[in-house]
Amino acid sequence: MRKQTLFGILLILTTPLLFAASLDTDDSAGAKLIRSNCLGCHVPTDEGLSRISYQRKTPEGWEMTVNRMRLIHRLKINKGDLDIKSSGLHEIVKYLADNQGLAPSETQGVRYLLEQDLNKVETQFDDEFATMCARCHSGARVALQRRTPKEWNYLVDFHLGQFPSVEYSMFGRDRNWFGIARNKMVPLVSKKYPFTSEDWSSWLMTEKPELDGKWILSGHMPGKGYFSATMQVNQNKKDYYSLSVEGNYANGEAIKGTGSSVVYTGYEWRGNINFGDISLRQTLAASADGQTLRGRFYQKGQELIGMKIKALKDNPQTQLLSVFPRHIKKGETTNITITGSGLTDSIILPASITVNKVISQSNNSMVVKVTAKNNAAIGYVNIQVGEAKLTNQLAIYKQVNALEVVPSYGVSRVGDNGGSTPKTDTLFRAVGFDYGKDGIANTADDLNLGYIEDVTWQVVPRDEVAKKDEDVKFAGHMNTSTGQFSPAAAGPNPERYRSTNNAGNLNVIAKLTENGNEISGIGRLLVTVQRWNNPPLK
Amino acid sequence: MNRNFYKTLFLSSIVMLLSACQGSNSEEKITTTITTSGSDKEYLITVTRPNTTLHLVDLQTNKVIRQCDLPAGPGPGTLVMSPDNSIVYILTNHFSDIYGVNIDNCDVVFSTQQSTGNIRVKSIASIAISPDGKEIYTHQNRVKIMNDHYEMLPPQIAAFNTSAGLNVEASRTFDAPRQVTIMDALESGELIIGGQDIFLMDIHSGKYDVILPSLNDKQPGYSGKDVLSVWQMGKINNEFYRMYSRAKFNGKDGDLANAEYLFGHETVNLETGKAEAKDFGPVETVLFTSIRRPGQLNRVYATLNDLKEYDSTTQKLIRSIDLPYTYYCINFSHNGSKIYLSGALDSIAVYDPDTFEKLAHIKLTGDGSMSTSIIFKRQG
Repeated sequence: MRKQTLFGILLILTTPLLFAASLDTDDSAGAKLIRSNCLGCHVPTDEGLSRISYQRKTPEGWEMTVNRMRLIHRLKINKGDLDIKSSGLHEIVKYLADNQGLAPSETQGVRYLLEQDLNKVETQFDDEFATMCARCHSGARVALQRRTPKEWNYLVDFHLGQFPSVEYSMFGRDRNWFGIARNKMVPLVSKKYPFTSEDWSSWLMTEKPELDGKWILSGHMPGKGYFSATMQVNQNKKDYYSLSVEGNYANGEAIKGTGSSVVYTGYEWRGNINFGDISLRQTLAASADGQTLRGRFYQKGQELIGMKIKALKDNPQTQLLSVFPRHIKKGETTNITITGSGLTDSIILPASITVNKVISQSNNSMVVKVTAKNNAAIGYVNIQVGEAKLTNQLAIYKQVNALEVVPSYGVSRVGDNGGSTPKTDTLFRAVGFDYGKDGIANTADDLNLGYIEDVTWQVVPRDEVAKKDEDVKFAGHMNTSTGQFSPAAAGPNPERYRSTNNAGNLNVIAKLTENGNEISGIGRLLVTVQRWNNPPLK
Repeated sequence: MNRNFYKTLFLSSIVMLLSACQGSNSEEKITTTITTSGSDKEYLITVTRPNTTLHLVDLQTNKVIRQCDLPAGPGPGTLVMSPDNSIVYILTNHFSDIYGVNIDNCDVVFSTQQSTGNIRVKSIASIAISPDGKEIYTHQNRVKIMNDHYEMLPPQIAAFNTSAGLNVEASRTFDAPRQVTIMDALESGELIIGGQDIFLMDIHSGKYDVILPSLNDKQPGYSGKDVLSVWQMGKINNEFYRMYSRAKFNGKDGDLANAEYLFGHETVNLETGKAEAKDFGPVETVLFTSIRRPGQLNRVYATLNDLKEYDSTTQKLIRSIDLPYTYYCINFSHNGSKIYLSGALDSIAVYDPDTFEKLAHIKLTGDGSMSTSIIFKRQG
């Protein structure tokens, strides 16, 4: 084992680095800025520049690095005679992310951090890694970096030098932290997250798609519900786009807005767009063929208020993207919306569903009034348009047996009140389940009914201490209809026991009245103190 | 090393703790005789931020009688007093710099900026003074900041001559263990170093050995001890003191799921060098500091959000009250008749150790979070 590890390290160290040569000659603003600003500290090497040329990171990762140089090491980016509007940070990050980024496959499983989906409990990392690396920040933050072993070693020294309390705090003082970090974790992450990889080499050789054109979007906007829209993407220059969006929520409310985006590393889409008066940020990944975008939209300044997004490039060929709502009750009539491309043919549904009327149909969206027959069997039904099928997305159900609150564990943070850090809301939604024919929970025939709109929300004390301390009264406000929790103001509260701040340990209850019965789901909400340090990757 | 281990370790470690109390007038017997000079007056000294303000409190009147604003960056103030109680040495500016201040006139008579050149030094509450007052010792966590990378250097003990004035450099250094916090010196001069275990260093040769295993205590039936002590408090019992928590296994060793958790204290008698560890009570809530009552050393008082009294002989909780808010630091008057709570927010609270009646509330200007308080006596 030791020989293999050593061999692996030697292989990595002797593998020619892929981009360094281009840094010397690249004509981009980013490369020029690196050459004119970084050489004061970073030394030219055979492969490029010390430190810089031996790491690969996401756009956010590089942004944090350059910002650390600015904030801690007093870098002032000198733009020279470059005619650019920004401070130069963007150009540097763009160059580095494009040339020393991560391949799409290398971000899989940890994209939630890029997408700012922070109410995620990481369970995929083993205990030792989690204890050493993920007790102060997310494990994903590490997993979204690639370094040579020497660079991982430097990272250990940086951690202890910059944050000396690392080896004194809990899970630091109970072990030889520095020795373990150097001798155990460095070999481990060097192997798991190596600087050179076939995936990255291959991605570099892959021709990157242009992403301009018309895109079909679908999602579930917090507080608004399901929507469908088209997003027109016009290329201003390579990797820079203007956006305009147009569409409707399920309730008929129109969506209209504009925005812009930048694509890093050939697939990492970062954009801003307005849905009416809602300002959204976009973190998406383009597929290698340039036909789909997947990721998350979230509100500017309130990252936890967001939605998963899948977008499909418009195409004459019939493709199905989504259907909503995702459930029809037996015997009931409702309008369903199907989104996709090339929707010119008629919709084909199973015999258990009657199509009453096609209310509207375009190439990208059709709204159909349907009735699930009284004798329809409960279960998922296929939707077909032309040759295209959508499976396991629409369920005929009998009743909502259970509600699942998502996220199951949300965190909200007090803020404002004269401080520098705003409040952090969190948003809960309820996913419905029909237990299926057997009526038993957690069996194979359970039906996921998607988001249920008509639930009411409340928060209750999670335990006796929370009850005694009146956490419900002090910690903030739950919007009973949208599930959005807004925390209270920051700072010691003289009205509270021990003048404590407005933290709270709460349960979140979603309730639905179904056939006269009350169905409820439960989640957890921790209302806690501010994050004073808010880097792009937490 | 499963999840259960971490869960239980968390429970153990959250109870982190502690403080060192060093005293001047106690003996090792459970009951000691309090000897005081009738003309001595008792004072408390502590530091608040953001301005690194030294507060000298007359404990006869519970009034702040002197404030000194120091030319120092903010940070927890870890204090040690000169043997004649005329100069207080403050480790501050984010555990980096030391200032010696004459408490009669606020004059800064000593200073050192431990970080020099491209080497940055942090001493995590680790400062001690020699018994003759001629030297200050710190434990230095050092990092060399190169042009494009950081390089951790081995930690060391540094000695500074207190008579050298301002901007003093270390007169000598020795290799030291990592993860050290509070320290003190025996009356014979050796340096007590509180790290994963408690070490004793010959301050002339730099040789050191373990005198009391702590994290590495292998006592059957128990886990190692978990200690986080960043408070040195009051020369009351003439001992180096820090609180620990540990698991007592009820089944197989290592079976944390069925273990019970105990608080205890480690002590080193500054006169004799005798080092001991003793459990004093069950872990029921988080406590940051504790102290033995002068004159009744088996009575242990502890604080954070509560004020608690334990009998270490029976290992039972005797008394407990909720506090109106958090205090990190607990201290005693020399005769054991008053408890002083400090080290958080902007006040010092005085309690009767027999009744837990609140006797006084001393308001400070500024936040004393994580700062030490020292109680001392002198004439005038």
